[in-house]
Amino acid sequence: MSSEQNGDGPAPEEPGPEARPAPRTLAEDLRARDDAALAALLRARPDLLSPVPGDLTQLATRAGTRASVVRALEGLDRFTLQTAEALAVAPPPGAAGPTVRESLATLLPGEEAAERLPRALDELRARALVWGDGDGGGENPRLVRTARELLGSPSPTGLGPPLAEAVGTARLSPARLQEILGAAGLPATHDPVSAVSALTSLFTDPDRMSALLDGAPEGAVPLLRKLEWGPPHGTVDVANPSRPVGWLLDRALLVPAGPDGDRSESRGERADRSDSGGGTAAAGTVVLPREVALHLRGGRAHREPQPVPPAVAEERVHPPETVDAAAAGQALAALATVEELLGHWETEPPPVLRAGGLGVRDLRRAAGLLDVPEQQAAFWAELAYAAGLVASDGEVDEAYAPTPAYDDWLRAAPPERWALLATAWLAATRVAGPVGERDTKGKALAALGPGLDRGPAPDVRHRTLTLLAGLPPGTRPDRASLHERLRWERPLQAHRDPHRTGRRPADGTDRGPAPAPAPPDTPPAAEEAPVTLRDRLAHWTLEEAELLGVTGRGALASFARPLLGPTVPGERAPAAPGTAPAAAAGTHGGAAEALRNGRPREEQEAEAAEAVDRAARALAPLVPEPLTEVLLQADLTAVAPGPLERELSAFLGLMADVESKGGATVYRFTPESVRRALDAGRSAADLHSFLAGHSRTPVPQPLTYLIDDVARRHGRLRVGAASSYLRCDDDALLAGLLADRRAAPLRLRMLAPTVLASAAPPDQLLARLREMGYAPAAESAEGDVLLGRPDVRRTPPRRPPEPVPDRPPLPDAALLTAAVRAIRAGDHAATLPHKPKAPASTPPDGGLPRTVMADTLATMQSATLTGTPLWIGYVNADGAASQRVIAPVKVEGGFVTAYDHTADEVRTYPLHRITGVAEITED
Amino acid sequence: MNGGPLIVQSDKTLLLEVDHEQAEACRRDIAAFAELERAPEHIHTYRVTPLGLWNARAAGHDAEQVVDALVRHARYPVPHALLVDIAETMARYGRLTLVKHPAHGLVLESSDRAVLEEVLRSKRVQPLVGERIAGPDAADGGSVVVHPSERGQIKQVLLKLGWPAEDLAGYVDGEAHPIRLEERDAEGNAWSLRPYQEQAVEGFWHGGSGVVVLPCGAGKTLVGAGAMAKAQATTLILVTNTVSARQWKHELVRRTSLTEDEIGEYSGTKKEIRPVTIATYQVITTKRKGVYPHLELFDSRDWGLIVYDEVHLLPAPVFKFTADLQARRRLGLTATLVREDGRESDVFSLIGPKRFDAPWKEIENQGWIAPADCVEVRVSLTDSERLAYATAEPEEKYRFCATTDSKRKVTEALVRRHAGEQTLVIGQYIDQLDELGEHLGAPVIKGDTSNAQREKLFDAFRQGEIGCLVVSKVANFSVDLPEATVAIQVSGTFGSRQEEAQRLGRVLRPKADGHEARFYSVVARDTIDQDFAAHRQRFLAEQGYAYRIVDSVDLLSGRDLPPQELPGGTPGADDGAGRPGDGTGAGELSGDEG
Repeated sequence: MSSEQNGDGPAPEEPGPEARPAPRTLAEDLRARDDAALAALLRARPDLLSPVPGDLTQLATRAGTRASVVRALEGLDRFTLQTAEALAVAPPPGAAGPTVRESLATLLPGEEAAERLPRALDELRARALVWGDGDGGGENPRLVRTARELLGSPSPTGLGPPLAEAVGTARLSPARLQEILGAAGLPATHDPVSAVSALTSLFTDPDRMSALLDGAPEGAVPLLRKLEWGPPHGTVDVANPSRPVGWLLDRALLVPAGPDGDRSESRGERADRSDSGGGTAAAGTVVLPREVALHLRGGRAHREPQPVPPAVAEERVHPPETVDAAAAGQALAALATVEELLGHWETEPPPVLRAGGLGVRDLRRAAGLLDVPEQQAAFWAELAYAAGLVASDGEVDEAYAPTPAYDDWLRAAPPERWALLATAWLAATRVAGPVGERDTKGKALAALGPGLDRGPAPDVRHRTLTLLAGLPPGTRPDRASLHERLRWERPLQAHRDPHRTGRRPADGTDRGPAPAPAPPDTPPAAEEAPVTLRDRLAHWTLEEAELLGVTGRGALASFARPLLGPTVPGERAPAAPGTAPAAAAGTHGGAAEALRNGRPREEQEAEAAEAVDRAARALAPLVPEPLTEVLLQADLTAVAPGPLERELSAFLGLMADVESKGGATVYRFTPESVRRALDAGRSAADLHSFLAGHSRTPVPQPLTYLIDDVARRHGRLRVGAASSYLRCDDDALLAGLLADRRAAPLRLRMLAPTVLASAAPPDQLLARLREMGYAPAAESAEGDVLLGRPDVRRTPPRRPPEPVPDRPPLPDAALLTAAVRAIRAGDHAATLPHKPKAPASTPPDGGLPRTVMADTLATMQSATLTGTPLWIGYVNADGAASQRVIAPVKVEGGFVTAYDHTADEVRTYPLHRITGVAEITED
Repeated sequence: MNGGPLIVQSDKTLLLEVDHEQAEACRRDIAAFAELERAPEHIHTYRVTPLGLWNARAAGHDAEQVVDALVRHARYPVPHALLVDIAETMARYGRLTLVKHPAHGLVLESSDRAVLEEVLRSKRVQPLVGERIAGPDAADGGSVVVHPSERGQIKQVLLKLGWPAEDLAGYVDGEAHPIRLEERDAEGNAWSLRPYQEQAVEGFWHGGSGVVVLPCGAGKTLVGAGAMAKAQATTLILVTNTVSARQWKHELVRRTSLTEDEIGEYSGTKKEIRPVTIATYQVITTKRKGVYPHLELFDSRDWGLIVYDEVHLLPAPVFKFTADLQARRRLGLTATLVREDGRESDVFSLIGPKRFDAPWKEIENQGWIAPADCVEVRVSLTDSERLAYATAEPEEKYRFCATTDSKRKVTEALVRRHAGEQTLVIGQYIDQLDELGEHLGAPVIKGDTSNAQREKLFDAFRQGEIGCLVVSKVANFSVDLPEATVAIQVSGTFGSRQEEAQRLGRVLRPKADGHEARFYSVVARDTIDQDFAAHRQRFLAEQGYAYRIVDSVDLLSGRDLPPQELPGGTPGADDGAGRPGDGTGAGELSGDEG
């Protein structure tokens, strides 16, 4: 929509002449802001910082590029976005007409909207989406052009183009316009422009408009109502209209969407690529002019203005202690699960697929091992990966194995271990949810494999949990309302899932407790609300938080609260806060608040570490003390009524089979399990004394008998009471060993000519012999060579995967300050010599202007902001050079769209054909 | 983390700490929906199964109560997934109902169309149902005709599909027949049902059909009598054998208003059909020329109640017949609902869910059954026996080690030691029993002993005229020998857990002087006999009967016994001293047998 540029609307340069010089461009507005405000802008839109812009003009230019604006719009909540949408459709302030603020008040009716509007405008201005005079853009806040284009045509509100534009597109003849005036009961005018403005003022006058519509034939108003909420286009038989349609067309209440009759007029270079609806204008298409639609809507821009964030409803309130207990239980279970998984992988590392990731079969095996669904197994694997506990070992036959960090993690106390997992989870951009789905190329996504990064994940996790934290303790939120709230906070992001192709039917069935009322994959609110990435992320967040023990019974655990930071997140990962501060603050001046958090990185890190500490400390009292005793029973079971100390559970796990896991552990002694303990080098006496030492009750007689029976037979097969033996066909060698002094501690004894017995356990014997330079091999009970337990695998030191945010990292305070200073300085440099330089570089007729491409681009971009006409040198397709005066409207994708004063029309020029630019001196 | 007695495991087992002060309250709460799986001394294990949850639903409990009971008593937080699972499982019950339709007879009805569609698509359901009934509100539900004879079958199939049907079709009253419990028995002694028997009868009657599990000797017959008195209708009682049939008859005549003439016996010898008829499983399952000639018994009268004694032994054909009897009230009685064939769930779906269950030890503590001392006597085989055992054919191994001479000697010593006490010697192998009978001078009851002879011997044993009886597995069940105080098991049906329990049951009737019963299991050490014994003992060990293991050498020398138990002590000492010298002789003997 370049109407403003083309002169048929009020020109953009038209400023409200006031006492103070009002900013004429975004750059001027920026220049007028203080450093804090600039820093806030850079914080809210960190993409503007890479690379650091040279001056404020460049900053303003960059802030106006399409990609950056789209990104900035995505960061808005629904009401701020609605405000921007309303701004995009608000009529430009006329000399007599209402100010933009007044228009906004009509477009966004309601007390709550009025109350929140200033803040929304502040927010928009802080993000440099709106500029103008003073707070919130003054009386006439202006939406930056790119945003206006993005939100104006077609408008998300479903409003069509203004009448003037619609008439222009339709190319109604002046005679036809006069006919329309007559039909509408207006006096004839002299020219089309005044005719259109007369009609416009009729349409914007509610009383006269109502009167006009009252006189409509039957069927006309319902017809309009059909288009009322958009899309504003409809198809009718224009050539031979029915009576109501004819009546409406005759009064320009409906306007043909394409040029009347002549549709093949388009020139070689399309004037405006983002023409609203023009692309779809078929013969019978009509459009409902914006003014008419607004009248029908009673002036409002949105069917439902949503100034107030929807509250997160509570589904159930549990006592906070219950929640904490449940979450703590789950937290312990999470630790056990990760340990079990990695404990398995350290002896049997699963191979890495060639394309990266864990094979389906290995995942299934892990799921079987953990006794969980595959989807959950993927989550545990991803969690361990994100926490840096497991990684690819980098060998030739690549396999996943625990990292050295895993050993440290194992040694830590349970609360610390949990806190580490939880922080890693919060900050990770990798998500396990899509594992098993197919990416856009139809390739299945493997756990630990590529393609699982979802940029908004940390933000969504944070927002979701922060919303939970906002509820009274112990409250389990109603999921539908939670999703609704998240959608409200980021309406635009919600509608974008670039990774998504198809949904597996299993998605909703393999989880989702029945009491959870609404499967989040089917948001109940909207008519056709698609399942968006954010929805899914939020769903995964809730599921995973429950698994991890961040929540219990659906409510946030008290010990997880410190992880969310004081008011805003202070994660060590740079990704999360990038968007979170603004999100945390919701509508309320997020960018401004963001500034306060621009503390030095070290401070943030210290704070994050402190938060982790606090979480661990809060969890500690909820973790049951490890027990040192078990209950032995005559049915050959042992019950540990709580978690056991590590060594104890290891020993017990060796001599008995685990029958049941959970808060308690049930072990069953079988001959096999006892034998296993004996095979591992324990003696029957060891077992007896161990049981006697750790049993709360007397050892039942059948158990004593079992151990003795097994031990008796075990001994029968091997070396009796001796701990180990040594045999060798070479008598001399054995004799030599016996005589060797170094072998004395082994207390070797010759049993037979080829057999020595030793009092040392086999492992010691082996070790000692190896020390002495022999190469002994252990024997199994069968006499085979016994291979030692396979070595526990470790990768070389590995770093956990860096989160891959989908937006640039949040700059810290130092960078911000430096950047602002640099921009300022550059700006001074650019603005001061600007004036003397300008005429010098202007050759009115001194041949083609020649400038380097970077300058060309910069000048062009700043001209789009100011709307100043430029001289350009242009070489056309035939190689003919010419000079043209153009007013650039848009610079994008290597093309500049401009109003060509020489040709008197809008044209698009490829940038590479432009030899140079020069400003026109307006002496 | 509160201090509750219950630990809820993620694998759906519940561990109950028995010594905890709230253990009893907790047990009452969870018994409604969880199956007692093991009851050893310190920690009892319950299991939450879909069946148990559905039974709880049928008994009027809802998921909220179940979850509340778990959460209230649990020491550690209850895994959320488990709670969700419970709610989901319980919600499946009652989506399908079997009801009587005024026009179409028995119909399967559902308010949930999707569920109905799902089960109707199952290949196993399709042959059991007739046409769909198009109701006025077919959109949100529907019903389908079920042939009355498939009532049991469809319930069984639906249970397997995970959508148990609630049977609201009710029961036929049957032919009325007045039965009441007498307040005084035939000898004129006042008696009444014990509290747990009352509860069992109530539980059964309230549920309509089902199984009552009571330990041996706890008076299951009286539960049957109580149920009959409730039903006031003609009753068919199915029992394991003729002796047991006679005992039932005797007991019923003694304790109820029924007279001899009102009770018929339907067995191999007699074919009486009276208002109360007692039939044996054997006669019912007799097959001639591919048909069951005695099946008409089920239709010969309009029975109002069918009692299945020792329901864990219910032979497979009877399951099939039972499926056709779903409109009649059914009562199953058993002490040990463990079937080695794993068909427990068939019992539940065809006879009915478990309506009452009492741990053995609990009944013992209340004094209704005698406390028992279970002893496993480990017999070391002689070297020659060991050699013979090692070289025996695999299929002969058990028989060989179970019948060795060393065992016989130990058994004889045990009998001698308990001389003066009523002793049963129970075994599996007839030649072994015959030999024992000969050595002990005791009569032998086995399969080919006539019923009259059996009754005579049992009577003499009850009267104390015979002090020791050698019995084969015919006496495993339903033989009421109140005064037996010592049982010695010399061999068994391999690893059968319920057999072991039933045999223990023979000595559990409370003794007149209240003294302890004794159960010896003589086991050959280091043989397959020992492995089987371990398996056999599992049920009892899980019921809290802790076996003592005693070495035969210790036993024979009298070193094992608590002092007050020593009955003279000399015979044991003699035998122990004589034992080492026996080695060769025993070896020769076993060589003959092998």
